[in-house]
Amino acid sequence: MTIGWWDRLRIERLVWMLDQQLYDLPRAERIATRRDVRTNLLAAAADVGTTEALRRIGGSRGLAEQYLRAEFGDRPRHSWIAAGYAAGLLPLLLNFFLTEAADAFQAGVTAAHGVGTFTWPGLAWLQSTVTVTATGAGPVSRTGGGWTPLAYVLWVLAVVAAGRLWRLRRRSSQVARAVADN
Amino acid sequence: MTESHDPQLLKGVLSLLLLHLIAERESYGYEVVQRLQAAGFADVLEGSVYPALNRLQRDGLLGTRLVPSPAGPARKYYRLSEQGRRALAESTAAWSRHVAGVEAVLARPLTAEGGH
Repeated sequence: MTIGWWDRLRIERLVWMLDQQLYDLPRAERIATRRDVRTNLLAAAADVGTTEALRRIGGSRGLAEQYLRAEFGDRPRHSWIAAGYAAGLLPLLLNFFLTEAADAFQAGVTAAHGVGTFTWPGLAWLQSTVTVTATGAGPVSRTGGGWTPLAYVLWVLAVVAAGRLWRLRRRSSQVARAVADN
Repeated sequence: MTESHDPQLLKGVLSLLLLHLIAERESYGYEVVQRLQAAGFADVLEGSVYPALNRLQRDGLLGTRLVPSPAGPARKYYRLSEQGRRALAESTAAWSRHVAGVEAVLARPLTAEGGH
């Protein structure tokens, strides 16, 4: 059976979606898996048709789950993808709220037509002291308002929690035990 | 043979089947699926076979090599490793003991009192 460009696109779509869900695998293994699934799908599509080949392999989500289970076992596992999302999105959110808070303080100073240097301790525990300097002429300057050490600690803890990264420790100890057993 | 198989039973024995098929002949993923289907496991899906082959490879029971294919990209052929050969022998013996045990229980006559 001939495989046309449309069928190849359908196969590539599944392979790409599978790849996106295998980011917790080591890179070399992910690439090898992608190549293997593509080759097998092409062989199956030439044999029974693309629709049937895709049906028989199941959805990308189910297939990814099987691959991850084959690699990490049935036990609960960590997720680098979730950790990555948390690492990227939490600073965006936190920065948004901290900036909003500092902006509100600065707006208050400006609205009061104050001249001088005004400080605000910032959002409790999360933000360093915000200092707004208004000279009455020219723009108002602002310093501070960044993350406190506690904010960094909370960020790291949130990344670990979102990615369930403590499970890495258990996995590495299992690997060490398996090596010792052999 | 087209009867369906209990997925749970099949899951338990899939590794043994794969090891045996590959011990018979070096094969690539889809070919293994075809051979399983030809052996009567028509309801075995590729989505469970390929990851299982991966796991056997990761466990050192299978070795692989890429073979250029005239029909497209190179295919990954699986072959049994020495460790895989030992695992196949052990699993086959364990399976035989298991079947003998199950058959021994199933062969016992059922009494009328036990029927309800």
